[in-house]
Amino acid sequence: MTTKAPSTIRAALVLARTPIVVPKLTKFESQYIKYKSELERRLMWTFPAYYYFKKGTMSEYKFQSAQKKPISKQPGVWYPEGIPDIKHCRERSTKQEVIIPKETPKSDDTSVSRPVVKNPAVTRADESNDLTSLERQLRNTLYLLVKSGSKGEWKFPSFDVGSNQPLHEVAESGIREIGGNKLNTWTVSRKPVKVLNDGKDGSLEFLIKSRIFSGEFVPKNKDTEFKWLTKEEIKDFVNKDYYDNTEYLLDK
Amino acid sequence: MLSTPRLITRCKNVDTSILTIIRTKRTKANKNSTGVSPQMQRVVTQLSVMSARKKQPKMLKLSNEDLIKHQTIETAWKIYQDKLQGQRTLRLKKQYFAVKEAMDTLKEVSPALFYEANVDESGKTFPMELRVPTDAPPREIWHYDYTLKTTET
Repeated sequence: MTTKAPSTIRAALVLARTPIVVPKLTKFESQYIKYKSELERRLMWTFPAYYYFKKGTMSEYKFQSAQKKPISKQPGVWYPEGIPDIKHCRERSTKQEVIIPKETPKSDDTSVSRPVVKNPAVTRADESNDLTSLERQLRNTLYLLVKSGSKGEWKFPSFDVGSNQPLHEVAESGIREIGGNKLNTWTVSRKPVKVLNDGKDGSLEFLIKSRIFSGEFVPKNKDTEFKWLTKEEIKDFVNKDYYDNTEYLLDK
Repeated sequence: MLSTPRLITRCKNVDTSILTIIRTKRTKANKNSTGVSPQMQRVVTQLSVMSARKKQPKMLKLSNEDLIKHQTIETAWKIYQDKLQGQRTLRLKKQYFAVKEAMDTLKEVSPALFYEANVDESGKTFPMELRVPTDAPPREIWHYDYTLKTTET
């Protein structure tokens, strides 16, 4: 085995912002979940209201008057949808709908029982298509890509390994040198996840995975451009070889 | 209930059509119709919550066509899950061989860096800041104002 002359070793950082919102279900997934939940409701035991509401109380009255009463069995009546079979105020051949009595909410309600208003998953950064924002594409993982100078190429930030400093330390300190100290990151492992061979100068680039939790990337050098991109978008920015070699390291 | 017959006998010579129901004094007997103590009644209620009696729905009887529909849905889901699992396994395999290749190259190129990369990391935990994805984003989506904590020893 011939040992190669130690070529330049570089450590690159694959810095990810993990999803903030859960991924959207596909049509098939949501249909299947609906089917299973309906089936489960059909097979569910009758809700024991007598256990939760004391007899003769106001809350029992409110609950009982909010419920839909099933059709009861009367002698000499023909029921096209089968003879009713009612136990504990529930038609046994269908699912039971338990209706929770609700008061009309006031606009200035501050109690804990007020209805939940969800924040939209599409943010301002999505609308203005601000690729440098960390608040975009909340359902996907974002990766930091940088480009130094107008002639440079879009790629994961990489740094020269000078002495025998560990790869992950080089990568983590390097990102702070170009992007400021306001970064709260966490290195996934000391081990590189991939080695990329640069054909031109024969340098080896070792990729280190890391996650960002807070803070932001503010380039110190004006020439340095950066973008937070999803896997799909990275495809359009880097060359094909680079994408094919790193594609399976990236999450959706 | 108990006092009604007595009421009727007392008013025997009165016309029954004008008889109105008079609410009598509550007695212990009609207050507690089951005739058990409240403590006992509570136990009975709690046990009946757990028991299946009177609470089970009717058995689901599917027609042949419905059964085939149900089986098709379940098979489709299984195929879909198998496909996802296959993709996941393939990706993990690729990642494994990528790490292996990287480590082999590192060993060849720089044994010192290889040694550093192999330092035991067992016991390493996820940081407290790690956030689990939720249904909707929080009010403050991203915390920008992070300052590095300097630990003095």
